[in-house]
Amino acid sequence: MKLIFDYDENITGHVPSESIDLDLPKHLMRSDLPLPNVNEVDVVRHYTNLSRKNFGIDLGIYPLGSCTMKYNPKVNENLARLNGFSQLHPLVPASFSQGTLELIWKLQQYLKEITGMDEITLQPAAGSQCELLGLMMAKKYFKDRNEERKKVIIPDYSHGTNPATSSMCKFQTVTVQSDTRGNIPLNKFRDVLDSDVAVVMITNPNTLGLFEENLSEISDLARSNGTLLYCDGANMNALLGIGKPGEQGFDMVHLNLHKTFSTPHGGGGPGGGALCVRSFLADYLPVPRIVKGDEKFSMDYDKKKSVGKVHSFYGNFGMLLRAYSYIMSWGSNISRVSKNALLNANYLQSLLSDVFEQPYNRKCAHEFVLSSKNLGARSAMNIAKRIMDYGLHPPTIYFPLIVEEALMIEPTETESKESLDNFASVLKKISDELVKDPDFIKKSPHTTKLGRLDEVKAAREPNLRWLPKFKV
Amino acid sequence: MDYVPITNKDQKEMLAKIGINSIDDLVGDVKLRCGKLNLPPPMSEMELVQHVTALSEKNKIPRYFVGGGSYNHYSPAVIDHMVLRGEFLTAYTPYQPEVSQGTLQSIYEFQSYICLLTGMDVSNASLYDGASALAEAALLSSSHLRRNHVFVSKGLNPRYLQVLKTYCEGAEIEISDKIDEKTACVIAQYPDFFGNIEDLQTLADEAKKAGALFVTCVTELTSLAILKPPANFGSDIVVGEGQSLGIPISYGGPYLGFIAVKQDLLKKLPGRIVGLTTDDKGNEGFVLTFRAREQDIRRERATSNITTNQALLALSATIYLAAMGKDGLINVAKASYKQAHILHEKLKEVGFEPLNDKPFYNEFVVKATKPSEEILSSLLKKNILGGINLGENKLLVCCTENNSAQDIEDYVSAVNE
Repeated sequence: MKLIFDYDENITGHVPSESIDLDLPKHLMRSDLPLPNVNEVDVVRHYTNLSRKNFGIDLGIYPLGSCTMKYNPKVNENLARLNGFSQLHPLVPASFSQGTLELIWKLQQYLKEITGMDEITLQPAAGSQCELLGLMMAKKYFKDRNEERKKVIIPDYSHGTNPATSSMCKFQTVTVQSDTRGNIPLNKFRDVLDSDVAVVMITNPNTLGLFEENLSEISDLARSNGTLLYCDGANMNALLGIGKPGEQGFDMVHLNLHKTFSTPHGGGGPGGGALCVRSFLADYLPVPRIVKGDEKFSMDYDKKKSVGKVHSFYGNFGMLLRAYSYIMSWGSNISRVSKNALLNANYLQSLLSDVFEQPYNRKCAHEFVLSSKNLGARSAMNIAKRIMDYGLHPPTIYFPLIVEEALMIEPTETESKESLDNFASVLKKISDELVKDPDFIKKSPHTTKLGRLDEVKAAREPNLRWLPKFKV
Repeated sequence: MDYVPITNKDQKEMLAKIGINSIDDLVGDVKLRCGKLNLPPPMSEMELVQHVTALSEKNKIPRYFVGGGSYNHYSPAVIDHMVLRGEFLTAYTPYQPEVSQGTLQSIYEFQSYICLLTGMDVSNASLYDGASALAEAALLSSSHLRRNHVFVSKGLNPRYLQVLKTYCEGAEIEISDKIDEKTACVIAQYPDFFGNIEDLQTLADEAKKAGALFVTCVTELTSLAILKPPANFGSDIVVGEGQSLGIPISYGGPYLGFIAVKQDLLKKLPGRIVGLTTDDKGNEGFVLTFRAREQDIRRERATSNITTNQALLALSATIYLAAMGKDGLINVAKASYKQAHILHEKLKEVGFEPLNDKPFYNEFVVKATKPSEEILSSLLKKNILGGINLGENKLLVCCTENNSAQDIEDYVSAVNE
């Protein structure tokens, strides 16, 4: 393995040489900068070779549950690189940014239509930042009403970000255990819903890939308790044109543009977040708000009740642009996305339900969770590793935490039937292999450049950076 | 456009296998169905390109003499060619290391570069942007020391201050104007919002004396090619914005937040961290490590809720630093410094009053003899965005290596008219 720091000193030349003497006091200057000078040819080969050690959607199915790894249209990458967008500084006057502001404003309209909400901000950089913003807004809302509510109810089927966010806002998390159908049991919900509950955070469909069946009742109970209902919309890929959170009783919903609206994940980011709210919460949204006047678009900072800002500027605009392009491509046909996401997930579930245990006997939404506990301890891990030997990407494993040996599978609508059939047949084969030759499978993967990596060693003997041979 | 590869024939077979007649039977669980969405008609790729290009043409791109947290540096062509490779672009967070070594190694290299530039011990894999990275540093300090005040030195970018205040209000942390036994951290920007390069040693010592952590925020990373690394002032945490490293200004995002800390704060870091290890045959490779801090495992006891980060921008910055190298980065820093000082000198000659009382890097403040609005609008007529209006005739002006001698001449002649 060769690091970029291991190349021999060479010549670069991307900018002109500059020989000016810096007129700075010595004690404010750096004595040495230990970065390598690598020739461009080596740079390109280094990173091209690294890319070949990676798996992406462009290579095949990437069925990570809860991550919505769908195909990312190539044209959107070209559009994000148009000079008029990529070369626009965030501090230009509004007369220079009319195209950008119009795009953001229109995207806001479309996302409000899709979610059935009244107002929206596109400032958060990701879904978890939407959650943080939503809870900060809730906190301020209750403060203005002279109510000191300290609790947030979160079902056990939620993403880990929900309780983590609740803690960041100094709320106390109250966990409700879901029932055998994967719903929030109403009796348990009533028990914990007291006057101290500020927010209920619900993921719909939840991380088990199931629509919450008690939503109307939960929403009624929350409302009559003065509690806000927050929808973690990470799984909105199941609901486009099928159901609107705004019509299902939610007061806030966030969207992950990098999931549902197909902006590329880039190896972990950047993402894009949209937080959509009912009008009674609109005053708390961050500034600036994008405003459409008679002739021009502008930014409005004059919002006294606003919680403030969560981004250096206005959000991950480049991702908003890609999401906008995605929505414009589908237009009024966009429900085809979710319908086919449901079709693909249910078809794959039906192919696999006799291979693995299906802990919830229901039709699924856009994803489903199976359990491989019948195949022994650590079987989900072994299956995941073996899948790579067949040139495919494994599903999410050991999440949600409430299912033992969980395999969480989200094929998305951009897989063909052939791809789904192949994935199912590989999983069947592996489940047979696990019975016939378990030791071989436990040592998989066998065909990747590296075998199983030692995570315990990584944490016990941390090596988190390259060190130069001399002190910086 | 349509991105669903299922044919009608496939669909029939799939429905039969599921045991239903129509896709509509699958949405029965959604009790509250919605009507047809009111969205525009779908577009072909050609129509989309025409439509979005027309929108882009409604923007106007001036010549920039403005920074304030977003810097118009040159970006080598090689970056885009690499980050557009589908193996990087369309990969998820590297949960399965055996098929993610590309992303993992590039993050390890990114962490190394951030440590080399800042002088710190460890870096994470990135945060959203500079402002939220600063807020995360305040949360980290507060939870580490169990203190709930933070002190902010003047000279912090006002946008960062606003984000910090927003996060602190949510987290019940107070922004205080004194350093004492309640102070969790002391925050200083370097170089500061007005371009000043300050010796931070005194402030760092004051923080230490109060038992607080010292946080340095860097919004223009190219400055660290020539400036003393913040670690050398005794910073416990260095955060900031990596946009300067080859990332397009793109109306403010997506950018690249970073956080680097001293070794003893490693386990308090928010976000992903990549470490080197070995596989079952002893070969070296990389994994996500210290995962037990993270939200999907630790839930309400996680160090932060951050999940998605800015990995692809971290890759861009890494390739930028690889392609520019030490020499290129120093050339960028020197040229930015030089252009700013040339313009500064020329503005003094035409009657602007210099207001920086310390050395500056590539941003500086001048006071004009007439209102800033008038200056900026006469510059805009020459298609020059001349700086940030600080009120009272004051302007915050920025240069990078991208500003030519002609740009500078045009700037001076426009304000001198």
